[in-house]
Amino acid sequence: MAEDREAMSPTKIGFSILWSACWTGIPIKAVFAVLAMTMGLAHFEGRFGLAFLMLFASPVTVFAVPIIIAMFETQFGEGIGLPIIFGMSIPVDIWALGLVGRTFFLERLRKEPPHDGLGFSIWWRAALIGTFFFPLLWCIVSRVTEIAIAASHSMAEMERMRHLFDTGLPIAERIGLELTIWGSISSAVLIVLAVIGISILGQTIRRMAEVARPVSENYQGLITRWDLMRVPTDQGLLLTSLAGVGVVFSLMFWSILPVTTPHPHECCKKPDVRVEPVFKPVESLSSSAQRVATLAAQIGAMEQQKVATKDQKEKGKGKVEAGTAKDSSAKTKP
Amino acid sequence: MDIKHSSPTTLPDHQPSTIEKLVAFLDERVGLKEMQAKMLNEPIPGGSRWAYVFGSILLFIFAMQALTGILLMFYYVPTADHAYASTQYIIHDVDYGWFLLGYHFWGSSAMVVCVFAHMSQVFLWGAYKKPRELLWLVGLALLGVVITFGFTGYLLPWDQRAFWATTVGVEILDKTPIVGDFIARFLKGGPTPGQMTLSRFFVLHVMILPAALMALAGLHLFLFRVAAPAGPFTGTVEEIKAKTDYFFPRQIWKDMVGMAFVFVSICGLALWEPVVLLDEAQPDPGDYHPEPEWYFLFYFQLLRLKLFAGEFGQFMGAVALPVVFMILLVALPFFDKDPERNIFKRPIALISWIAIMVFIILFTVASVINREFLD
Amino acid sequence: MLQPKLKSKVRCTDHDIGEVTKVVLDPLSHEISHIVVSMNGSGERQVAMGHVQTVMEDLVQLRAPSTDILALPPFKREDYVTTHEVEISHLEDNIHVTPGEVLVPLPDLEKNVKRRTFFMNFTHVIGFLIGLPIAYPILRFLMKPMYADFDNEWLKVGNVSKIKQNDVGVQFKYKKKVKEAYMPESEIDKNVWVLRATPEVLEKVYGEKDMEFRDAKGKVVWTNKKDIPYVAFSGKCPHLGCAFKWRQHKTLGQVFLCPCHLSIYDASGTVLDGPAPRALDALPVRVSAGGEVEIIDMEFKAGTKSRIRIV
Repeated sequence: MAEDREAMSPTKIGFSILWSACWTGIPIKAVFAVLAMTMGLAHFEGRFGLAFLMLFASPVTVFAVPIIIAMFETQFGEGIGLPIIFGMSIPVDIWALGLVGRTFFLERLRKEPPHDGLGFSIWWRAALIGTFFFPLLWCIVSRVTEIAIAASHSMAEMERMRHLFDTGLPIAERIGLELTIWGSISSAVLIVLAVIGISILGQTIRRMAEVARPVSENYQGLITRWDLMRVPTDQGLLLTSLAGVGVVFSLMFWSILPVTTPHPHECCKKPDVRVEPVFKPVESLSSSAQRVATLAAQIGAMEQQKVATKDQKEKGKGKVEAGTAKDSSAKTKP
Repeated sequence: MDIKHSSPTTLPDHQPSTIEKLVAFLDERVGLKEMQAKMLNEPIPGGSRWAYVFGSILLFIFAMQALTGILLMFYYVPTADHAYASTQYIIHDVDYGWFLLGYHFWGSSAMVVCVFAHMSQVFLWGAYKKPRELLWLVGLALLGVVITFGFTGYLLPWDQRAFWATTVGVEILDKTPIVGDFIARFLKGGPTPGQMTLSRFFVLHVMILPAALMALAGLHLFLFRVAAPAGPFTGTVEEIKAKTDYFFPRQIWKDMVGMAFVFVSICGLALWEPVVLLDEAQPDPGDYHPEPEWYFLFYFQLLRLKLFAGEFGQFMGAVALPVVFMILLVALPFFDKDPERNIFKRPIALISWIAIMVFIILFTVASVINREFLD
Repeated sequence: MLQPKLKSKVRCTDHDIGEVTKVVLDPLSHEISHIVVSMNGSGERQVAMGHVQTVMEDLVQLRAPSTDILALPPFKREDYVTTHEVEISHLEDNIHVTPGEVLVPLPDLEKNVKRRTFFMNFTHVIGFLIGLPIAYPILRFLMKPMYADFDNEWLKVGNVSKIKQNDVGVQFKYKKKVKEAYMPESEIDKNVWVLRATPEVLEKVYGEKDMEFRDAKGKVVWTNKKDIPYVAFSGKCPHLGCAFKWRQHKTLGQVFLCPCHLSIYDASGTVLDGPAPRALDALPVRVSAGGEVEIIDMEFKAGTKSRIRIV
């Protein structure tokens, strides 16, 4: 570790800072994103993973994403929630880059970090590089992928001609082969370009470090210093405000979370709201009275019928008894 | 009696508060202060690290799954004639049921991802080597339990997707020689999947597997404490000493932030894609193409290759290959005796890990592409 | 070198300076890194093990003069915790700094080895015996539904008048009543493919012999005679159980085609293409004088080369 301090490559510098800062920021950005989703302000459909990655790397992507959306008509999701989330990520990124930057200067570069605004200095540099480099990377990788997919299709076609299979290379093998071909080309280009971009950022940070003073403490002193940097001067204030914000967000969440599912199944769609018919007491009373009368008449009729059939039964009792006896014996058979 | 360094210094005429008296009461009977110190004051060589959070996150996810699972059981009925309807009831009628079911569903995916992350971290840090072989073995048993959790839980909604993914999955198990038929019939509760299958999967999912997981996790934690954290694989003694801190509060704090992030992420996933069931399970698949959970897709695609066609091919792919792979994993700490833990100085380990990652990603993506070609 | 014992005297090159009051361990290497010397009341000093020349049972000899030791900074107790207040695994495994041992007596009854061994083994035997009686019932309990008897009832599926041509598959849909365990009886939709086969196709289905069908115990319940022209195929594809169709294929003519994984069979059920491991499963079939087709509904294990009946 001590040796590569002197000759730390710009890629390593850029990657270390960006990786740590992105991970530091993402828990906070995720909270805003979930609140936006709960409110229904952001819909991602199939592009959830991509949107997450863009948000994760927001120090670099924050201005690049609108450019890419405009230039290439790609969608990362819909709704005004997205620009809001990216907007919120700016102060988060500045803070994260500041924290990570100061730690990096002390621990890895053994230099005094600049007194003020290190976070902002790194952030605007990262955003600037991202605004130009990232759309370029997007463009190149998209084009290369398109070409590679087409090339692998035709390669697989050729394969089919020469192969022994009558019906051509089987589907699963063909997909695997094509995916390997264009996948590796595409990934290689993506990785190379990403490394170049990170290296550019690393170089700018290295230039910032060159003008910084070296530290005087020993290793343990440095570790203690950046560690204690994380303890706020007014602990009560920070903890109370954090808890307070958390409670407020939770209350918001409880009130805006939809009670029933936003994606109902065919089986159980909520019935359309029907207007209740106006209640008219007099009418309902009289109609009920009428119903009672009709029912009473029906009961009277049924009773009469019962008496009549009973008489009939008495007459045909002998025959009926024999019949019921046979029935019951049939019923008792297993 | 030793001077208890961890207790705060008290002024000579300070009257103990109620809390302090309570603590003293418990401490006299239970040895509370010493136990607390032993549990929390564990030095982590090289300091607490974000890379180490996955174990605790897994415990957190399990707790959340148990909680949401218990809540779902208030309404879910595990019979073939009510499973589908009760699940739809949870989704459509119970307040926030859709969200809790979504949390449970995505939580299981999160668990698989974190298991993979945790295993990778242990592998890359060489933390399976002596004296941590037993930890690795118990960890593999836990992996088996987590996978079985996912497999058994998937059947419970009893829609087409659930029923057919299970049918195909159990058929694969059937290919095991000698015991395959018995195991398949045991799991299915008969020759074909039906009510007996649902009952057995339910019992496994809510009783047997949770008990197994808790027992194994307890053992895993105990072994971890006895073996001590392995720490970073690079760094001089001076650097490691300078950064060493205690498990509490530093590592626990990092674990908490990790848990919070995972919690928010699972909520996000549940909001992005709530659980939507297909039609109720039918014995005839009709137009539906069976597919397992996303984390099995790579294997599903592998078995589609002509290499694994035919009875022998099926045996190779469904039984021989995974068994050989599992044996390799189990034997890993016993044939990799080199004490070197720096991943950049273990080329075989690094290349194997990258190869497996690439293989899984490649075949998962291939399986998704293959959906277009199924008719 | 022996480990320094607590309470042993400490001697410099010139004279004794006190005794060992404490021992400090290194948390990483688990070795003794320092001893703390009482300095006879003038403030404890922490002395690195490097200063130690030899260690004897009750004496630690240092290689420096007492002035050097006195010049060391005073020992700060608040920078340390006892080993009871911290969890460092295996820390004290190889540390023996207390002279002597602390012991607890064995109860009289436990001093008899034979008694101990007997009761230990007896405990194991009883434990085994508690488990044993329930093991077999548990196994049978769990296995009850696994090997159910087959239902060999004849089911009417339709009339042969539906079949207009020879060697063409005609789907007959029927409903089967199933009662699983305690579940209410339900009806499931099933289908068979029936065809009236010409002698060539019939030859391919049967080969040389009549087809026998057995029940769970192996007794023959029915034989399909090879000269009866009606053949009924189970509607489930032998690959993985999907329902297949009768279609016109671009090169292979009229075939049975399974949409799941594209297994293709000709009219006699022989596999033409795809992952199917065996030909279509023929079912027991009989046709009454009035043309009513009846079958015994059977299911066979999917994905195997040999035909194994499971339902």
